[in-house]
Amino acid sequence: MTFFIEVVLSGLMAGVMYSLVALGFVLIFKASGIFNFAQGVMALFAALTLVGFMEKFGMPVWLAIAGTIGVMIALAWLIERLMLRHLVNQEPIILFMATIGLAYVLEGAGDILWGSDVKLLDIGIPQGASDWMLDTFDIYVEKLEVFAAVTAAILVVFLAVFFQKTRIGRALRAVADDHQAALSVGISLHTIWVIVWSVAGIVALVAGIMWGSKSGVQFSLSLIALKALPVLILGGFTSVPGAIIGGMIIGVGEKVAEVYLGPFVGGAIENWFAYMLALAFLLFRPQGLFGERIIERV
Amino acid sequence: MNDKNIDDVILAVDNISLSFGVMKVLDSISFDIKRGEIRSIIGPNGAGKSSMLNVINGFYHPQQGSITFKGETRQQMAPYVAASHGIARTFQNIALFKGMSTLDNIMTGRNLKMKTNLFLQALHIGPARTEELENREVAERIIDFLDIQAIRKKPVGKLPYGLQKRVELGRALAAEPELLLLDEPMAGMNSEEKEDMSRFIIDVNTEFGTTIALIEHDMSVVMDLSDRVLVLDYGLQLADGLPHEVRANQDVIDAYLGIPHE
Amino acid sequence: MIYRETGQFKTNYSDDQALFPIAQDRYVILAVLFITFVLVPVFINEYWLNAILLPFLIYALAALGLNILTGYCGQLSLGTGGFMAVGAFSIYKLMVAVPELGFIPLVIISGLITAAVGTLFGLPSLRIKGFYLAVATLAAQFFLIWLFNKVGWFFNYNATGMITSPPMTLFGVMITGPEGVPAAKYLLVASFVAVFALFAKNIARGRIGRNWMAIRDMDIAAELIGVRPLLAKLSAFAVSSFYIGMAGALYFSVWLGSAEPTEAFDINQSFLVLFMIIIGGLGSVLGSLLGAAFLVMMPILLKNILVGGFGTNSALAAHIEIMTVGALIIIFLIVEPHGLARLWRIVKEKLRLWPFPY
Repeated sequence: MTFFIEVVLSGLMAGVMYSLVALGFVLIFKASGIFNFAQGVMALFAALTLVGFMEKFGMPVWLAIAGTIGVMIALAWLIERLMLRHLVNQEPIILFMATIGLAYVLEGAGDILWGSDVKLLDIGIPQGASDWMLDTFDIYVEKLEVFAAVTAAILVVFLAVFFQKTRIGRALRAVADDHQAALSVGISLHTIWVIVWSVAGIVALVAGIMWGSKSGVQFSLSLIALKALPVLILGGFTSVPGAIIGGMIIGVGEKVAEVYLGPFVGGAIENWFAYMLALAFLLFRPQGLFGERIIERV
Repeated sequence: MNDKNIDDVILAVDNISLSFGVMKVLDSISFDIKRGEIRSIIGPNGAGKSSMLNVINGFYHPQQGSITFKGETRQQMAPYVAASHGIARTFQNIALFKGMSTLDNIMTGRNLKMKTNLFLQALHIGPARTEELENREVAERIIDFLDIQAIRKKPVGKLPYGLQKRVELGRALAAEPELLLLDEPMAGMNSEEKEDMSRFIIDVNTEFGTTIALIEHDMSVVMDLSDRVLVLDYGLQLADGLPHEVRANQDVIDAYLGIPHE
Repeated sequence: MIYRETGQFKTNYSDDQALFPIAQDRYVILAVLFITFVLVPVFINEYWLNAILLPFLIYALAALGLNILTGYCGQLSLGTGGFMAVGAFSIYKLMVAVPELGFIPLVIISGLITAAVGTLFGLPSLRIKGFYLAVATLAAQFFLIWLFNKVGWFFNYNATGMITSPPMTLFGVMITGPEGVPAAKYLLVASFVAVFALFAKNIARGRIGRNWMAIRDMDIAAELIGVRPLLAKLSAFAVSSFYIGMAGALYFSVWLGSAEPTEAFDINQSFLVLFMIIIGGLGSVLGSLLGAAFLVMMPILLKNILVGGFGTNSALAAHIEIMTVGALIIIFLIVEPHGLARLWRIVKEKLRLWPFPY
């Protein structure tokens, strides 16, 4: 029984990690209607920059983090200037494909700037198993993952408040609905987009830190972007709490399937299980758990 | 209006109610359309007129009521059934295929009349070729009828609004429908364009014998063209009869002036 | 002056609907066909074949397939790699089991098998649209690769999981693997591409193609005028997968000679073919060919310039190549979302007036 609980807990923690990346997606989609395929690569890029600042420039942790945040904001500004503003009011599929292009650009840039070897990321987050959990419940839980979960929770609360209560949050939601309409009421699309992509960049940094601390900073980080898709399908593309819950469902589902079903079919189910789960879900509820049901009008 | 033999009912809806969640869009609507007539459906915005057409088309499924078309009664229509049995329509917010040319759009209207399979089409020989040419002729006749030869190969997304509406009418006509549903065909047009459109509608009705159901806001057009008029307001049926009867009906006048009724 | 249509009147619809109604176009096509089928085979060598011509032609076939699904019918698919794998493994099993059927029939059968698989994975498209459908195709992609890696039957239980093309001949000439005759390989694949490009064009111009585009542009309106979304979408998946399957079969048997699922058919393939149709032009047969040519030639060109010209090391060159592809995608989407095909059409428009400016 404890083994099962461990598997579930491990799945939940993995799920939180997915959610962190999915959060970035939701932000950008919520605020600009764009599905940012480059979100995973942004996490990678952020982590690479952080490590680069710490190692190549010998900065202390807090300075490196501040520096990386600065880089991500500058990146958001560049993306808006060079790419987004020329694609105003294009169809979603064109915007999506542009973000695929962006992913490739960032990937190449990250490799060139910081090198493509695997890097260790250690910014002082507690590592190793939680002794307390082990002693009290005889269950193995990683301290790092708990840390990530708490961070994610804080982020979610912060973002939810941001969207609902602030003026900027409202403007973001307007932009997501209709670019031209938002323009016509005087919302500066460009400023909004820079803000959104900066925040998404910072969320990507957090995700990158968590993932990087756990398994090193390497290229496979960017593939997490693909995993985030099933998360978003379950949770809905525009829901912040949905991203968290969706992430946890995917995380648990994957782990349980791998441990209990995997041995029957040769393992490595994790490669596709999340997608099949999402697919099955879509067949019954095309708008996801938390998504809005769209009534088509003719 | 000229003499028509309008006794035969082509479409009858009985007690149709339609809701979206708690919002009741249509409330126990019953009326019929006789073969060969021009039937107008009028009413203030939000009355449920387009929704009524959508029910006839099979795009919306009513919670209650039945639809009898050409003698067959159904609880709800399916789009394919409606189309293949001879119902065609135009839309309030133009639903043309923006990526295709005028000619191609009208040719899609012929799709139900064309049957050749994939292999013959790939090879473009024999029946596939003949079929394409035959249907091209029909499409061109419609293009002549609507006087849109000049924009034949233009992508419709680039056409001005009035011409788009004409192309959409062409696409509907291409299906050689028995019942043609027109949803605000004159919206956004100036008086010249309205005269053209009215002429087309009358011609379609007299030359091809097509029954027409028409949603329209311009009262003079409605009074001139229609054989009978149905009035809806907030999903309720207010009046149903000859144009001059409806015009004199107090409920109808109240609805248009905005006086609330129970 | 040269490219003028004056005097070329069409007196019946048949002429108007011809593939190349303008006489000058016909001459150009004849010239292209002559170069393709007569000149090139004479001068071809191993390097050109393997580095440029075969990948271009095979990817062109795959791009045609994906364009049918995504460009004409509007169903976004990220499963191209997986479907190519289906084609490759199909022809492998067929070549081992029934080589006597002949190479060309085996390629076609592989295509048909892939069409069936593609239709199956296309079923969700009835309920799901847009990005969500992309996820369904991703599921296909990852699942299929996993399947071909894990299930021994597919690779005849050999230890490495790789499949190797058994030698096969066509009209007495060796066409698979490293002993294949370059000119023969080239002519075979070029013929496939020419024939199936023609078929694609014919289908796209006809009723089925129009129905696909109707679904793409406004599927609700399409349904209401009597197009059956089920049939249209599934037929798009079927035809598209057929093309992609054949491309995969040729990719493995004629070009690579041997393949391993994760490397040869992974998600990067899916992206590559998608980029080809974006840059080339969505919904255009010519675009599929241009996009394939562009994305096959560009890395080679870049590498020659960077490594040969500037002496950059190849790892760095590879990274720069990735960045360039990404940047090009963005630039194309901004400047000409309809791709090279539209650019070509604009050039032709200008040519009609040349040397006059307007």
